[in-house]
Amino acid sequence: MALKPMLEYASVRTWLDGLREQWGGDPVADDPERLPLLQAFCEFADTDPDAVIGACLRVDKAGDKRISVKGRRKYAELIDRFQAASEESRLRKAKRGNTIRSFLIYNGILLAAGAQMAKKD
Amino acid sequence: MEFKEVIGRRRTIRYFDPDKPVPREKIQMMLEAALLASCAVNAHWLKAVVIERDKLPQEQLDKLKTPVADIALDLAPVHIYFFVDLGVVNRIQGSRLRQLVDVGALPPTHGWSHKFVDELVYPQILKPLTDAPVYAAAAAADAGMAACQALLTGVDEGLGVAMNTPNPEIIQNVFEVPPDWMSLWVLLVGYPAESWEAGGQRPRPPFEEQFFEGKYGTPFKRDPAVVEKLKAAKMIQRPAVPNDPARKAEIKALAERLGLPL
Repeated sequence: MALKPMLEYASVRTWLDGLREQWGGDPVADDPERLPLLQAFCEFADTDPDAVIGACLRVDKAGDKRISVKGRRKYAELIDRFQAASEESRLRKAKRGNTIRSFLIYNGILLAAGAQMAKKD
Repeated sequence: MEFKEVIGRRRTIRYFDPDKPVPREKIQMMLEAALLASCAVNAHWLKAVVIERDKLPQEQLDKLKTPVADIALDLAPVHIYFFVDLGVVNRIQGSRLRQLVDVGALPPTHGWSHKFVDELVYPQILKPLTDAPVYAAAAAADAGMAACQALLTGVDEGLGVAMNTPNPEIIQNVFEVPPDWMSLWVLLVGYPAESWEAGGQRPRPPFEEQFFEGKYGTPFKRDPAVVEKLKAAKMIQRPAVPNDPARKAEIKALAERLGLPL
C-alpha cells in the first residue's frame, strides 16, 4: 500500500503533539528514528497510521468511543512480530516495538507489552 | 522510621527493580501487620495469597494482567493477592466475638456477654447482614484497612509497594481460592527502581473539600501550624509538580533501562 508522508496523517500529528506536550523539545528531531520506524511498521502490517488507530477503536450503540479488544490484540501481536523480525540487539528490538507502542499510547490506545528488557529469554 | 514519615514516604511505586528479591521475613512482617488491623466483629475478612512472580508460570502471570496492570505485574518480584472472605461470618458464628468477651475487650460495662453474642448479635444482626446488599462493600472496606497496614509496613521496611487491580474474572481460578472469596486487590512488592521520592507526594484535593465539621458543607478548618508540624515530621512532603525536569529525566532513564515505551 502506498503511504503518504507520515506527517500528513492526523494520528501521527496527535502522537507528536503528545510527545511534545509530555517531554518538550522536537520529537522528530530528538529521535529521528521515530517516523521511519512507524513507516516501516505500516509497511510491515500493510496499513497506514490512521487505519491502525481506527482499527483499535470502535463506536458503541450509544455512540461512545471504545477501545476495540480485537483490534488492540491484533496490533499488539503485529507489533510483537515487528519487533521480533529485527536481527538487531535486544535493546534495539525493544526500541523498535516501543516506538510503535508509543504511537498507540499517545493516540489513547493503552498497549502495555511489559518491560522488554526485564523479560526472560 | 517514625509512623508519620512512613505515611509521608509512601508512594504507589510503578517501577520496581525486577531482579532484586524481597526477603521472605519482610513479607511475613507485612502479613503480621495485616493480621493486627482493627476489624469489625473480629471477623477477619482479609485473606491473602502470596506469590513470588518467578514461581508463577508465565501463562498464569499473563492471564492476571490487565492493560493497566501489565508492566507492574512483570516488574514486582512479589505479589500479594488480597481477597475478602465473604463466608467467614457464617462460618465462625460469633465465636471470635466471644473471644473478645473472654479477654475483656468487649466488657460487660459496654453490654457484652456470651449470651448477647449467641442470641442477638450473630443470629439477629450478623447473619442477616450477610444477605444484605451492603455486606460485600462493608467487608471490603474492613479488609482494605488490614491491607493498608501491610502496605505501610512494607514502606517501613524500605520496600516499594503498589496496590493494583488484577483481572478479577480469572483470579479465582488461577489461585484456586474458595468460591466465596471475592478478589480485592494485588499488593505489588519489591525494591523501587525509581527513587523513593518518585517525583514527590501526589496531588491531593484541597483538605477542606474532603473533610467537614458538624455537618456537610462546613469545612474542617485546616490549621497551618499543624501542617508545619507534619512537615517537620516528614508526613507532609514536597509535592510532585507538573513537568518536573528531574522526574522526566528519571522516567526516561527507567524506560531505557527496563525497555518501556515513552
